[in-house]
Amino acid sequence: MMTTLDPRSRAATRGWSDITIRNLFVIPTVAFLIIFNVFPLLYSLGFSFTDFKASSKNPAHFVGLKNYIDILADPVIWRTFSTTLWYVIVSVAGQFVVGFGLALLLNRPIPGKGLLTTLLMLPMMLSPVVVGLFWKLIYDPSWGILNYALGLGKTAWLTDPKLALYAVAITDIWMWSPFVMLLSLAGLSAVPKHLYEAASIDRAGRLYTFFRITLPLVAPILLIAVIFRTMEAFKTFDIAFVMTGQPAAELISSRLYKMAFQQWQTGPSSALAYIILIMVLCITNIYVKYLNKAKER
Amino acid sequence: MRTATKGLLAGVSLLLASSTTVLAQELTILWAEWDPANYLQELVNEYPGAKVTVETVPWPDFQTKAFTEFNAQGSAYDLVVGDSQWLGAGSTQGHYVDLTDFVAANNLTTAMAPATMKYYSEYPGGSGKYWAVPLEGDALGWAYRKDLFENPDEMAAFKAKYGYDLGVPQTWQQLLDTAEFFTRPDQNLYGAAIYTMNAGDAIVMGVENSVFAYGGSFGDYASYKVTGQLNSDKSVKALEDYRKLFTYNPPGWGNAFFVETNTAFAQGQAAMAMNYFAFFPSLVNEATNPFAKSTGYFANPKGPNGDDFAALGGQGISIVSYSQNQEEAKKFLEWFIKPETQKRWAELGGYTCDAKLLESAEFRNATPFNEAFYQTMFKVRDFWALPEYAELLTEAADTFYPYVVDGQGTAKETLDKLAATWVDTLKSAGYAAE
Amino acid sequence: MAVVSTRAGRLGNRLAVAAVIVITLIFLSPIYWITSTAFKPLLLSTTVPPTIVFEPQITPFVKLFTKRAQLTGPVDQATYDAAPWWEKLVLDGGERLSRDGSGEVVFSAYPDRFVNSLIIAISSTLLAVSMGTITAYGFSRFRVKGEADLLFFILSTRMLPPIVVAIPMFLMYRAVGLNDTHLGLIILYTAFNVSFAVWLMKGFIDEIPKEYEEAALVDGYTRMQAFYKIVLPEAAAGIAATAVFCFITAWNEYAFALILTNRRAQTAPPFIPSQIGTGLQDWTVIAAGTVLFLLPVAIFTFLLRNHLLRGMSFGAIRK
Repeated sequence: MMTTLDPRSRAATRGWSDITIRNLFVIPTVAFLIIFNVFPLLYSLGFSFTDFKASSKNPAHFVGLKNYIDILADPVIWRTFSTTLWYVIVSVAGQFVVGFGLALLLNRPIPGKGLLTTLLMLPMMLSPVVVGLFWKLIYDPSWGILNYALGLGKTAWLTDPKLALYAVAITDIWMWSPFVMLLSLAGLSAVPKHLYEAASIDRAGRLYTFFRITLPLVAPILLIAVIFRTMEAFKTFDIAFVMTGQPAAELISSRLYKMAFQQWQTGPSSALAYIILIMVLCITNIYVKYLNKAKER
Repeated sequence: MRTATKGLLAGVSLLLASSTTVLAQELTILWAEWDPANYLQELVNEYPGAKVTVETVPWPDFQTKAFTEFNAQGSAYDLVVGDSQWLGAGSTQGHYVDLTDFVAANNLTTAMAPATMKYYSEYPGGSGKYWAVPLEGDALGWAYRKDLFENPDEMAAFKAKYGYDLGVPQTWQQLLDTAEFFTRPDQNLYGAAIYTMNAGDAIVMGVENSVFAYGGSFGDYASYKVTGQLNSDKSVKALEDYRKLFTYNPPGWGNAFFVETNTAFAQGQAAMAMNYFAFFPSLVNEATNPFAKSTGYFANPKGPNGDDFAALGGQGISIVSYSQNQEEAKKFLEWFIKPETQKRWAELGGYTCDAKLLESAEFRNATPFNEAFYQTMFKVRDFWALPEYAELLTEAADTFYPYVVDGQGTAKETLDKLAATWVDTLKSAGYAAE
Repeated sequence: MAVVSTRAGRLGNRLAVAAVIVITLIFLSPIYWITSTAFKPLLLSTTVPPTIVFEPQITPFVKLFTKRAQLTGPVDQATYDAAPWWEKLVLDGGERLSRDGSGEVVFSAYPDRFVNSLIIAISSTLLAVSMGTITAYGFSRFRVKGEADLLFFILSTRMLPPIVVAIPMFLMYRAVGLNDTHLGLIILYTAFNVSFAVWLMKGFIDEIPKEYEEAALVDGYTRMQAFYKIVLPEAAAGIAATAVFCFITAWNEYAFALILTNRRAQTAPPFIPSQIGTGLQDWTVIAAGTVLFLLPVAIFTFLLRNHLLRGMSFGAIRK
């Protein structure tokens, strides 16, 4: 629905012209973002081609693509990437299932719907570091309420190489499903009621209604939610770093942090950041193409 | 209207003028967020000169925040209470002010305990150049449950099984035996709680404790020789025994640092707990440790070959070379090293490094752990203090963790791998390492 | 799904409501755990097995607002009796209150940080939502050259992990004197949130049929009037959702708040998790700080709940 309005329509000649409004509305924001981001982006891009370490007084030496090649040849980095990719898939899928499922359940007149929705959004309103700390306590084999409440004995959620990643993913899903839920609710309520009435008159089944009517109309908002959650999932740092040091659950952001702020390898860490950026760009590109297709009905 | 504006402008400029003069008499100290920083703030409130404020940063972010400021040559902080390992970076990269003359003028090498000057202040080792005034002495020590150790039934059972009396472990073998003896999962009691967190200071410091006690080393800090030192037979045995000690810890014990070891001890899960002395006050306090009255403390036991060492912690206070108040900062340090100030610092809870105070009977009896602390401060050894220490630390943590916690590989393989990694890192930093 | 007025439909409805309530209770149990920790004495927060029933106290909240130190010896009885009730709570917990030169109790940094958070989050949310909405409208209704690329650029500003831009951002801010200022963080959070705001608002505005505005223009409204009177109200749900998300992001941001600010303009998130005293993580104080910090966000969202759920109404014009 990206049709434009006819700038020559009668009323548009009064008041500000469409061109003025368009420029006034769009240019400041874009300019602001460009100015704000250009220095940091160029800075880190520049350093990614050097061997610079912010902690030493040695000047930066240009090393071309060496940092990129070293990183791409490092098996530890690839293991971390695949761990992160799997984590993103599990986490975003989980958020989607839980969030959209909750929205479907809530999409009806319920007493206290406003209160329920606000309460369900509480996990999202916590600081990620606090979430990491408290879930670390909750997952603790001895002091944690999870093992106790579910009778799981001494399961070591955060230190068992097989479980650690899923433990972090569960926390992430818990925290961000409300995001998907809220956007889904907004999208669901945008579906015109008369379409449902028409479908029920035509004796359409529940599943048919869902897949042919609801889903296509909710898709644009849902995809925006998924795009942003995917981007954020790739950047997950706080909760994972606080909760576990298990290498099997190491995410790429943690490795980046260690490189940049514990080892002070400014050059190589910038290169890694750009590799991550390119990956996320490609994945997001695919999503955006789907989004554009979903909008053309 | 115009007179009002003039008045306003006059008022504002007066405010600015007075605020700049106020700023000249303000000092800012940067430290980490913990109780000693609160004690320091209380102490500096009594300083008769400038107004001193202690700014704090959470521990995990302390190094990040401090060095971001230093690397940008920022003047936000006048003094910093840096970790002993920061000395290399602080001095070679020009972040710290050279205090050699200050030290000489004030006889600090005799006034402060020798180990503290060596490790919290001198860099490079043995060079006679000093960069900090020791502020908070610290080292790794142990806490243990006296009630369990002095229980007659336990003592009898122990003697029957191991052939010697149950008591404070004097050697690491005894430490291991005692830990094994008290590991009873069905009673939710475990032998020990040690450091395992895959973060710079945690697991590496724990391993350091055992490696040093076994006569091993983390390399020759003067000649940068790593191979043959780090992965010597002694170091390998030490690491193997650290892993063995790990098996006597509570379940899922893969993310433990000072908070967790104290908590396990206070909740009665561990018969012994490893921790920095700086964190023992909460074990002395009955409100935070129900076993406070029956908690004893001992210094790191000897290794199998009789070597007697412990891992060092602690911080010294340095003047930031980008500060705009260096004269005032020096005056502050002169006040800080006075015996009265050091006594007051100890009273408030700070871990003074003043030699006379440390040796006094008054100090050694002031808390249940001061005696062990006093003994430990004479046998401490530290990690690398090079500017690149953080890289070495991170690499070590990453390498030790899979072996100690997940049991992957052998101790020899682990240390060989770390030695190779470290040699690479040191070489690419320009040191003649091997 | 739409509500159908049959008996099966009503039963389905009741089942759904029951399911929602059960799910909500389970979902919120960690929140309950955090809240209950805020009222426990410190020792009970890490017992084996975990303590569920206990006698609540508000000591953690007293501790949250004060600077404290461990007691190094038993408290003198006279001092204890003379202390006000809240100080007695702290003394019972094994700590004493820090006092400054004139004997006054020293407050912790929490109140200041809380206020800073309010100022910074509210301002940046207002800015981000306004800028996002108008830019989204611009992209939605008008032909903009290179629109797809510009939109993708806007999206990409949120793709880099914040860690990597921390140092250049620090240097940039230092150079223009924005370090440790409220304005600095406000600008940063606005920049951070505006990309999300643009995309989300565009998603909502695209759903509003352009026929509404065209009808208004035919009736004699100017474009701007059509924007204010028709598009904005229709997009209220989107604006509410965007505002809530932007506020939450700014409210809970940790990394840049830590690096770019010191004691003048720092917000609460770096403060709350750092309560470690001497060697024991004070879970109760962290929980207390979290509970209080949660209130403004929760209240804000609750006030907007009707807008959030209003959705889009489809009036007279049908497609």
